[in-house]
Amino acid sequence: MNTDQHGLKNKSLIIPVALAFLSLITAASGLAAGSSKAIGSPTAPIVIELFSDFQCPHCKDLHDEALPSLIADFVNTGKVYLVRRYFLLPRPYSRVSATYVCAAERIGKYDQVSNVLFLTQRSWAETGKVDETVSSVLSGADMQKVRALVKDPSITAEIDKDSALGASQSVNQTPTMIIVHKGQRTPIAGVISYSLLKMYLDKVLAQ
Amino acid sequence: MSSRRMLALALRIVLGCVWLYAAYAKFRESWLVFAMSIDAYRMLPEWAVLAVARSLPWMELAIGILLVAGLALRYVSIAGASILAVFFSVMVLAQARGLGIDCGCFGLGDKLSGWTLLRDGTLLAAAIALVYLSWKPAAKSAS
Repeated sequence: MNTDQHGLKNKSLIIPVALAFLSLITAASGLAAGSSKAIGSPTAPIVIELFSDFQCPHCKDLHDEALPSLIADFVNTGKVYLVRRYFLLPRPYSRVSATYVCAAERIGKYDQVSNVLFLTQRSWAETGKVDETVSSVLSGADMQKVRALVKDPSITAEIDKDSALGASQSVNQTPTMIIVHKGQRTPIAGVISYSLLKMYLDKVLAQ
Repeated sequence: MSSRRMLALALRIVLGCVWLYAAYAKFRESWLVFAMSIDAYRMLPEWAVLAVARSLPWMELAIGILLVAGLALRYVSIAGASILAVFFSVMVLAQARGLGIDCGCFGLGDKLSGWTLLRDGTLLAAAIALVYLSWKPAAKSAS
């Protein structure tokens, strides 16, 4: 499905419109300006490891539909420690998008970059313009740092380490959430409604 | 015992055990985990997801027990084949839509794939064969 089918005939409109939504989502989820892939209190009773691919449409759905509420209700309240991990699918721009996000994380801009990539996924997944998309949410100075960092081998190593970690935990699709509570690991694959996830987390917390 | 009756016996024991294992795998986890597996198919409204998650494991348990015991075989075989047909159709649709989800058939970590479609398709074929075998003798005696 292309953007024209959604009535956006002028593709130059996509980024500004997306950025407006991005600021709303960021505000709603309570994300701070300096951000990393792990958010919340590390001592929270529940740990959720979320394995995603930035080019995966279902990861975008989960990111758009359930994640803001999860962060607002459980992460920001100290109940859940959320670790977002890279898990590459065999898609053309999976690695490059993960590389930019990982590089952005190094300068404390994980959320800005991951949010814009999910929000405008349909566009850059067609054109491959990941760099341009990322540059739309970063200052010139930050973008320079990110462009330098994407060449750093440690970025590739970190992404591969996350993917290997997922594979070692039998993750074979995205999105997959591994919910860890009192040593028990429960993998949940696919896009799920927030209300069901909330019911489950509330039940787990009540145990 | 005729070969037809032997085959029917084998099919109902195997299918009965499969139903019992499917029920066990769901009872092992919180019913909400199964609800999330159903929800991931993105085909049902939430009230229906909750209703299916609550009731399906009990139906699977009942079908499994009745098949193994050989009770009400004609009707139970139809019920089992009908449910498997629904499962199979839903799985084919989900696979066609490219959903990266768990099948939800036998607990967690059972990725929906060509293999799961082959497995459930085989189970459906076996269930249809059992329906045929359990109804065929009655048709003969009626004539």
